[in-house]
Amino acid sequence: MSNQWIAFIASAAFVIWYLSYQAGRLDRLHHRIEVTELALLAQLVRRGGIVAELAAVPGIDPALSVLWGQAAHDVLALRDLSAPHRTQLENELTNTLAMTLDEPEEVNEIRGIQYASSLLDELIQVSDRVRLSQQFHTDAVRDCLEIREQFLVRFFRLAGRAKAPRPLDLDVQVPPSLSN
Amino acid sequence: MRIGIVCPYSWDIPGGVSAHVADLAETLIRMGHFVGVLAPAEFDELLPAYVVSTGKPRAVKYNGSVARLSFGPIAARKVSKWIEEGEFDVLHVHEPLAPSLSVLACWAAKGPIVATWHSSMDKSRMMLTLSKLAQTAMEKISARIAVSEAARTTLIKHVGGDAVVIPNGVDIASFSSAKPMFGWPGENQSIVFLGRGDEPRKGLAVLVAAYPEIRRRHPKVRMLIAGPGKPEDTLKSLSREDRESVTVLGMVAAQDKASVLASGTVYVAPNTGGESFGIVLLEAMASGTPVVASDLEAFQRVLNDGKGGITFENENSDDLAQVVSDLLANPTRCAELSAQGKLRAAEFDWAVVAKRIVDVYESIRVQGVKVEPDLTGQMIGRLGRGRISPEARIEP
Repeated sequence: MSNQWIAFIASAAFVIWYLSYQAGRLDRLHHRIEVTELALLAQLVRRGGIVAELAAVPGIDPALSVLWGQAAHDVLALRDLSAPHRTQLENELTNTLAMTLDEPEEVNEIRGIQYASSLLDELIQVSDRVRLSQQFHTDAVRDCLEIREQFLVRFFRLAGRAKAPRPLDLDVQVPPSLSN
Repeated sequence: MRIGIVCPYSWDIPGGVSAHVADLAETLIRMGHFVGVLAPAEFDELLPAYVVSTGKPRAVKYNGSVARLSFGPIAARKVSKWIEEGEFDVLHVHEPLAPSLSVLACWAAKGPIVATWHSSMDKSRMMLTLSKLAQTAMEKISARIAVSEAARTTLIKHVGGDAVVIPNGVDIASFSSAKPMFGWPGENQSIVFLGRGDEPRKGLAVLVAAYPEIRRRHPKVRMLIAGPGKPEDTLKSLSREDRESVTVLGMVAAQDKASVLASGTVYVAPNTGGESFGIVLLEAMASGTPVVASDLEAFQRVLNDGKGGITFENENSDDLAQVVSDLLANPTRCAELSAQGKLRAAEFDWAVVAKRIVDVYESIRVQGVKVEPDLTGQMIGRLGRGRISPEARIEP
C-alpha cells in the first residue's frame, strides 16, 4: 500500500517537474525570439533608412530617387515585424536595389557623388546584418516550434497565450555589383 | 557596445581558444568597444585589465587532451556576479559545450548571447555532453559562430541549426615584424615545433620519428621545440647525437611566439587530429616561415589546398621526412612558400575578422536590452517576472 503511494507521488512529482522544465524551456525560447525579432526589425528599419537617405542625396537622378524613396518609405511605414505585407515589401525593396544597381559602371558613377559612396558601404553592411539577423531569428523560431508541437506541451497549453512564432522569408541579397 | 566574453580554458597557458579571446578582446577595444573577459586564471597580478579571473583552473581530461577548466559552485557564483555587474549588450561565450565557464554563463544569463564553436568533436562525445542541462544552455544562444567548416559540420550534425563561419584571426603585424631568436636559424637550417610536447594529438612523436632520416640527409639541421609540457619521453628514442641537436625551450610567452616561429627554416605541424582550424599555421605563415603540416582537412583549408604550405600524409613519419628533406634542399621553393604564406595569412587579419564578429553582435542586439542575470530557474521564479520593457521597443 505505502509502496504504491510512494510510486504514485514520485511519478506525479516527476510529471510536474517535467512540465515545469518544458515550460521553462518555452519561456527561454520565447524570450530569445522576442530579442532576435527586435534585432531583426532594427536592422530592417536601418536598411530602409539608408535607402531613403540615398534617395535624398543631391545629385542622384530623379528617377532613381523616386524608385528608392518609394520602396524605402513603404517599408518604413510598417509598424512591426509581423506586419501583413512585411515580407513582400522588404523583398520589393531588395528587388528595386538589385534592378537599379546592376551595372558596375553606374555604381561607380553613383559612388562618385558626395555622400552616396559611404551610404552604399553602409547598405552593404546592413544587408549583411539583416541576413544574419534573419538566420538567427529563424533558428530561434525552429527551436521553439519543435517544443510547441509536443503532445504534452499542447495538452497542458504550456505556451499560454503566446502566439506561435513564424519565420520570415526575406530575400536580402546585396546587389552583386556592390559586393566586390 | 559593451561586450562580455567568456573563455572556458585557462588564461595562464596560451592555447588556441584563450589566445583567440585575447586577440578578439584587444581588437574590439581598439575599435572603441568596452570589453570584459571572464576566464579561469591562477595568477591574478599578470592579467590584463579587462580580464576577471574565476580562480585557479583544474586540470581535467577533455576532448582528447588535458584541459584546464573552471567549474563548481564557487565558479558559478563568480559568473553570476560578473554578468550582473557587467551590464553587457552582448554576451559572447566560447566553446559552449566545454564543461566550464561558458556553459555556466549560458545558465546564468539571458538576453543577446553569441557562441563560438572552435573544435570538432566526434559523435559519442557530443552526445555525452548534450545532456538536458547543456541543452537548456544551448537554447539561450541566439547566434552561433563556427571558426571552421569542420566545426560547423559537427554543430549541424549533432546539435541542429546552423552557424555562421567566421575564421580565426591572426595579428598579422606582430608576426610579420618578428625577428628570429639570436643565432637561429643561423647558417644551418632548422625545424620548429610549437605545441604541447606531451600531448599525443599534437603529434610530436611523428616528427621525432622522422627526425633521424631528415638528419641523415641534412646533417647540420637543428630542431627547436617550444610549448608547455615535457617532451623528454618522446625524445628518448633519438640517438645521442640527434638529441644534442634538439633545443627544448619549454613554455614561451605569447609575445615570444612570433620570434620562435621566425627562427625556423621550416615550421612543422604534425598534429594527428582533433584540430578544426590551426591558427599556429597562419601565425607561422604570417612570420614568413614555410609550413609543412599533416593533411588534416582543417589544415588543408588553411593552407589553401597546397598554395600556402605543404602537407604530408597524417601520422606517416617517412612521408614527413621526405617532404621536409626535399624542402630544405630547395631554397627557391622555401622563398616561394614564404611569400604565398604571407599573402594567405593576410586574409585572416584580426581587423578583418573582428568586423565580421561585430556584424553578428549587431544582428542580435537591441537598443536598451542588456544581458541580465537569469535566476528564474523553474516555475516559481518565473511568476511575475517582466518581459522586455516597452521602452526597449524600437518605433519605426
